[in-house]
Amino acid sequence: MARLMPRVATLVLLLGFAWAAPANAQDQKGTLVFAVETLGAQTLDPILEGRPGNAVYQAAMYDSLVGFNLEKGGVGPGVAERWELAPDGLTWTFHIRPGQTFHNGDKLTGHDVKFSLERQMGPGSLAAAAASMRRTIKSIEVVDDLTVKVHTTSPQIGLPAGLSRAVAPEGAIMPKAYIEKVGEEEFRKKPVGSGPWKFVRNVPGDRIEFTAVTTPHWRGRPNFKDLTILLVPEESTRVAMVRTGEASIASIGPETMLGATRAGLEVLSVPGTMQAIFQFWGTYKPEVKDSPIAKVRVRQALSLAIDRKQVIEHVMNGKAQMPYPFSTFAYTDYLSADRWKKWADEAYRYDPALARKILAEEGYPNGFELKFANTALPGTQFMVDIGTAIADMWTKVGVKVTIKHYEWGSFAPMERGDQAGLVGWASMYRTAGRPDAPWRYDGAFSPESTQRLLGDKENCQETCQEFVKTYRALLAELDREKRTALTDRMVELVTNAWTVIPIIEGMGYYAINTKKVGQFQAIAGRHELGDVFERIPRPEQKPWKK
Amino acid sequence: MKRFIARRLMQGAVLICMVATIVFFLGRLTGNPVDLMLPEDATAEDRAALTKTLGLDGSLGDQFVIFVGNALHGDLGRSIRMKQPAVEAFFDRLPNTLVLIPWALLLGMILGIPLGVVAALNRGGLLDRAAGTVAVLGVAVPSFWLGVLLIFVFSVELGWLPSGRMGGPEHFILPVVTLGTFLVAGFMRITRSAMLEVMESEFVKLARIKGLSEGVVIWKHCLRNALIPVLTLWGVFVGNLITGAIVTETVFAWPGIGRLTYEAVIYRDFPLLQAVIILKSILILSINLVVDILYAYVDPRIRLA
Repeated sequence: MARLMPRVATLVLLLGFAWAAPANAQDQKGTLVFAVETLGAQTLDPILEGRPGNAVYQAAMYDSLVGFNLEKGGVGPGVAERWELAPDGLTWTFHIRPGQTFHNGDKLTGHDVKFSLERQMGPGSLAAAAASMRRTIKSIEVVDDLTVKVHTTSPQIGLPAGLSRAVAPEGAIMPKAYIEKVGEEEFRKKPVGSGPWKFVRNVPGDRIEFTAVTTPHWRGRPNFKDLTILLVPEESTRVAMVRTGEASIASIGPETMLGATRAGLEVLSVPGTMQAIFQFWGTYKPEVKDSPIAKVRVRQALSLAIDRKQVIEHVMNGKAQMPYPFSTFAYTDYLSADRWKKWADEAYRYDPALARKILAEEGYPNGFELKFANTALPGTQFMVDIGTAIADMWTKVGVKVTIKHYEWGSFAPMERGDQAGLVGWASMYRTAGRPDAPWRYDGAFSPESTQRLLGDKENCQETCQEFVKTYRALLAELDREKRTALTDRMVELVTNAWTVIPIIEGMGYYAINTKKVGQFQAIAGRHELGDVFERIPRPEQKPWKK
Repeated sequence: MKRFIARRLMQGAVLICMVATIVFFLGRLTGNPVDLMLPEDATAEDRAALTKTLGLDGSLGDQFVIFVGNALHGDLGRSIRMKQPAVEAFFDRLPNTLVLIPWALLLGMILGIPLGVVAALNRGGLLDRAAGTVAVLGVAVPSFWLGVLLIFVFSVELGWLPSGRMGGPEHFILPVVTLGTFLVAGFMRITRSAMLEVMESEFVKLARIKGLSEGVVIWKHCLRNALIPVLTLWGVFVGNLITGAIVTETVFAWPGIGRLTYEAVIYRDFPLLQAVIILKSILILSINLVVDILYAYVDPRIRLA
């Protein structure tokens, strides 16, 4: 009997596994079909697409070195579960989460992290920040399988954010051994990642298919067995596909929300994905000195003339909110967000009487002529309607607006070089939802930046100089409280200048067929659902709440 | 005949060179792919690096010289967005468009030709006016609107057909109807005018004098002769279908060369845009050349002109 016991025990154990395995397989069923307007470059090699749009589909199969704070929407643990900055500010140490594997079974180690970052910085990389990474990252050192040190040329406080999909796709971790073994071309055909979804098929111009991993994953084990991401450029077709059940979820614009709701679809809004803004170009230049928009108070008056609540209600169908100051959100790191929310609610109020009074005091009782370039960045066509609406509101305080519409591809080149076509103009613009404000502020306001909205190298006056000083101090500041104070100061300088003025804080919108998927929440600030697919329940399952 | 074909080939080659040059320069007037590939807060350094990586850092003249040099060796460049040879991308998608075209042509002929005959037989009557209305609607209704309407009725409301994407036979119906509606109108109008002309011919009068039944006169003698100009317009219609598929393929999420063109324009994917337009031009010119040769073969006056 004693001899039989181990055999019986083994048999029981095997039966247990046999029972459990099908239960697990049954636990993942159905196909989650997601229809999007663009798949960008539709490449599964993370170095071949610089736009965050690839987060829609690359995020399904790749993990990022730094992940999300699911609650707040900013940066959180990813492949690295924690990270710290050396006292001299020149070395970031990333501690890799143990037990991670790629889909081919290889262990994910610090060597993969170093390889991936170096590949993103390499000469063949199209990553948006490749050049910045080459400049700021001095070397990458693998201390052991679970520890990686990134040495930088100067203090880079924002480096972890830059390696998080919350900001950019450059942190995607790729399998070193596999790529070195099969080569880049083969890797692009049969990509391998470590995310909760495995690559199955990429049909150019049509779809990308994934299948769920069957083992537990730190991002969550998918509830669906398969994931198909469909490319359906036409919005009305996407909505029709959700209505017929051909797709479970589709990305939509605010103009379609009402129709989708009336058709019985659920509409999911992702808060804090972007700000629609308007900005004044070259206000500091000598040739603009006599223009009304060279005066700070005139620019402030134009903000007071905007009824943001009307824009939210009628252009955004109620699915938008009053903005924070430029490029800041509830989830922005190192920012006194509550204080700025209160400030913005007051400063961005609608007060046409005060607007007229200011204009009169500044010498424009009968208004003035304003040239306004209306444009929309890709995927935000509703910005054109916002631009038209605010131009109309300005006419009500006496400003005669000459509005000119530009397709984004034609507008973008105008902001570079001498900005001849824009100096003295106002224009629509957008800023994407990101947890780190300084990078965006640098790109908009530093005298060396592309946009240089506070001053250029030849004309950097008091505010511009103060901005440069604050921004430099911010880059080197390691203390959390002092850094927050400096960020607040930087934001204050920009808000008081009234050259870049938020109109609304926009959201990402999705039409959902509730017969196909259960209830779930998105991650604040992330328009893409790439890091949410694995958490989406089937209709009969419990809702996913963060 | 050989001289005729050689002359047409030469003309075609000159035309393709002109198209390639115009597309190269006009495409670049519309913006820069770097602006669409980078986020709005990309640094000037990142922009410069990507411009160099994409081979867009040289002067326009230098880029054109490289383009011409490569094109002469059959290399139309690599797609900036898709990172594959542009010619390969075109031929990957071409079959998806070509499978739609015969069905759309068939639909256009099956409905358009009989309608044209009926309209001609009832010249000025109610049926003629009804057919005329069909023709006007077929030409005037934007295919974008028609496609969306068909999806709404047959997919969403009735649930009979899929909303889009390639698939089984049921996936073909709505795109083919959308593409074919324009052709119904085209075939109807051409058939009507050709029939009216033929019906006035001496041989038709002779056929009637000989006592042939009206059905034989109309459907055998008149229609057979009226179909000659109809069939010669096939080349034009196929050309229209190849270029007009952009809207239909976009509405129905059909991964053909129409949508490839749309994507190339949207992403400022210059090499792909150049390749698609040049290859489409070659395709259309080839079809027209075949039609011209056949026409010249049938009518010697054409090749002697």
